[in-house]
Amino acid sequence: MKRKYCILLLFLLSTSLLFAADIHFTASASKTEVSTTEQFEVTFTINNSGDRFTPPSFTGFLVVSGPNVSTSMEVINGNASSSMAYSYVLVAVKEGTYTIGPATIFSGGRQLNTKPLKIKVVKGSASQQNNAAAAAAAAQSQNGPDSRVTMKRPGTDINKSLFIRADVDKSNVYLGEQITLTYKLYTRVAIVGSEPDKLPDLNGFFSQDIKNPNQSPNWHVETYKGVKFNVADMKKNILFPEHTGNINIDPISMLFVIREAAKASDDDMFGQFFGTYNDVKYKIKSAPTIIHVKPLPPGKPDGFGGAVGKFSISTSLDKKEIKANEPINYTIKISGTGNLKLLKPLSPVFPADFEKYDPKTEDTIAEKESGETGSRLYSYLLIPRHEGNFTIDPVKFSYFNPATGKYVSLPTQGFKIKVNKGTLENNVTAFSGADKQDVKLLNKDIRYIKTNGDITKNGEGFYDSDLYYGLLAFGPLLFLGALIYGKWYERHNSDVVEVKKRKAGKIAAKHLASAQAQLTAKNSKAFYENVFRGLYGYLSDKLNIAAADLNREKIASELKARSLDGGLINELLDTLDLCDMARYAPVSGISEQQMFDKAKNMINDIEDKI
Amino acid sequence: MLLLIISPLLAFSDDATVALFKKGNAEYAKAQYPTAIVSYQKLVDGGYRSVAVYFNLGNAYYKNGDIPSALLYYEKAHKLSPGDEDIRINIQLANLKTTDKLEATPEFFITKWWHGFILACSLGTLAVLSVLLILAGSGVLILYRFTSSVTIKKVSFYSAIALVFLGLVCIFIAGRQADYFDSHHEAIVFSGSVTIKSEPALKSKDLFVLHDGTKVDILEHSNDWVKIRLSNGNEGWISATDVREI
Repeated sequence: MKRKYCILLLFLLSTSLLFAADIHFTASASKTEVSTTEQFEVTFTINNSGDRFTPPSFTGFLVVSGPNVSTSMEVINGNASSSMAYSYVLVAVKEGTYTIGPATIFSGGRQLNTKPLKIKVVKGSASQQNNAAAAAAAAQSQNGPDSRVTMKRPGTDINKSLFIRADVDKSNVYLGEQITLTYKLYTRVAIVGSEPDKLPDLNGFFSQDIKNPNQSPNWHVETYKGVKFNVADMKKNILFPEHTGNINIDPISMLFVIREAAKASDDDMFGQFFGTYNDVKYKIKSAPTIIHVKPLPPGKPDGFGGAVGKFSISTSLDKKEIKANEPINYTIKISGTGNLKLLKPLSPVFPADFEKYDPKTEDTIAEKESGETGSRLYSYLLIPRHEGNFTIDPVKFSYFNPATGKYVSLPTQGFKIKVNKGTLENNVTAFSGADKQDVKLLNKDIRYIKTNGDITKNGEGFYDSDLYYGLLAFGPLLFLGALIYGKWYERHNSDVVEVKKRKAGKIAAKHLASAQAQLTAKNSKAFYENVFRGLYGYLSDKLNIAAADLNREKIASELKARSLDGGLINELLDTLDLCDMARYAPVSGISEQQMFDKAKNMINDIEDKI
Repeated sequence: MLLLIISPLLAFSDDATVALFKKGNAEYAKAQYPTAIVSYQKLVDGGYRSVAVYFNLGNAYYKNGDIPSALLYYEKAHKLSPGDEDIRINIQLANLKTTDKLEATPEFFITKWWHGFILACSLGTLAVLSVLLILAGSGVLILYRFTSSVTIKKVSFYSAIALVFLGLVCIFIAGRQADYFDSHHEAIVFSGSVTIKSEPALKSKDLFVLHDGTKVDILEHSNDWVKIRLSNGNEGWISATDVREI
């Protein structure tokens, strides 16, 4: 008997040893090579019960759901074995090779580690993924609540079997970054009817409903906290936070009618079989969710108008060469994903002389679960009013990419526009000076051309020419000359005797001239008279002797005193005598002409000598 | 002597020039404005500057619809003969057809009078006038010096003083006028539409937009840029290719 116990003990010990040696803690992935944005599952399994499970840090991955814990216990031939599995649904964000570190768990007093898992992430096409998801959703939407989910009998705690979750894809976002909000109904009970009680206000967000193409909600099965639920997406919204800080998403509240088995019939077999039930109304509220909205980082570039997401921009112009007063269309197309509807109109710089109108905005935006996607078209109508070459500068557009956390500036194309002269009438009416001056004047014509006028070569103007200055100086110079002459003249004529002397010849010449006149008139008496007077007057002036004192002797002595030679003096005296005589009696031996010449020569001779 | 003074002013340089001028006039009379422009332009390009040629060329451009060119030549004619009323009227009419409406800053009335005074006669007229006055004054002064009659002496003295004074005034005004035009460079905007910049660089700020035909004062040149001032006092820089100096 004792031996029997011993063997049993041995067996027991050995089994326990066997047990201890046999505990495995493994990590496995549903795929070792995944594409980005593809979901895959990582499961940590232990074939024993364990506690204090520490998951590894899933660097490089986003945890979509998890840990989903499942336990199983099976007894085979009296051998009870249990296992536990922690599974995570992960999504790869970036391509590369990542290592999921070891997870740890305590079991049987020991710490167990899993081996690291290597996951290779390749670049995947998001559309495929979306299509697959859409297809799956479509497939599921065909069904009603999945019958595989055991319909729990509504019991003590309705909140555990029927609740609404406000599910957001991100809870930590930048200002303006889009969030997809899904209100999910989780149920494990049969719902007979429902009506909305209070829809959320979604204050603090710009909200866009995602339209469900089907009227009925899509039901699918989801494991939540280790329990499978029938899940329906009740309402999907795309939210754009409008201010920074923590924004509370209001709870949604709905009224549900739940069919509950009647309590009284708990023991009643019939009741259980035939389903005696009560319809009970419940008000279900979702838990409030808080979104942390971060402000956009500093360093906003030029042309940033609050666009957050991922965009592209293109500009176009319908005509490059037009006439003045003809319209042209300038369009800016912004397409991409993000807060397209919240975009502020861009401010393209048009030539200041263009008449411009407010842009027409055209949206082709679809709200999908992946966010608001589409394009927005701004078309500007421009009318150039004057000819010339103009340029439309490139528009500056920049947006904030929340995925990279950086601002992106997009270049656009600038345009050159050639505006030709428009029709003249239009040109005038556009900015006519009608209000500028009197209308009366418009009917007047310009003055007619000048048909005569001077034409001079450039630089031949009279002003500033040498001639001009010469003539200007001429007048004063002339006056100066006159002054000098006057001065000289005065000084010259101040001595009476000298003047008389100087003028003697002239006066004599005068007498002689009149004598000559008498000669031609054959007036012999008057001729001799003139010659005599001329000679006498001349000598009187020349020798400065008064006419009364003048006689032959005085003339002779005076002339001698002036050292005139004797012959000349005698000749002069003879001539004087002859003239004196001829005044009263005719003379012979000498003609009147000879007499005249003699007198003239005499005066000339004296004039030369004195 | 009078002939000597006046002859350069009346001189038609040669017969060909006169013929070209007459041809332009005939073409203008027949409303063949483009050919008239060609004829007058030949004269201008040949270096001839005259009020009549500039004025007629301006008229031909006006009739042909080219207002900026019309204004350019009207202003050139106006510069040669500031007192000419025909030119003034035509400038007014041509200005009606320009786009920019500019409220001129009111001039101080004494400045206005002064400008009206010094610009009343053309420079050539003033020059001839001053020469004649000075010559006459000198002549009368000489008469004063040599006359013996007391009455003539008195009259000639005072008239000589007056003549010489008037002559000096003419010289002064001519000098002022020449100075005014020397320091007063104006230009006409020739581009249909041009943006005036704050600095002589394309990247600088846009100040305002001018259209063809607007008259601006030129203040300064800098490379290919010209600093201008509008009659309303605004200043800015314009590309030298957009304006033509009067």
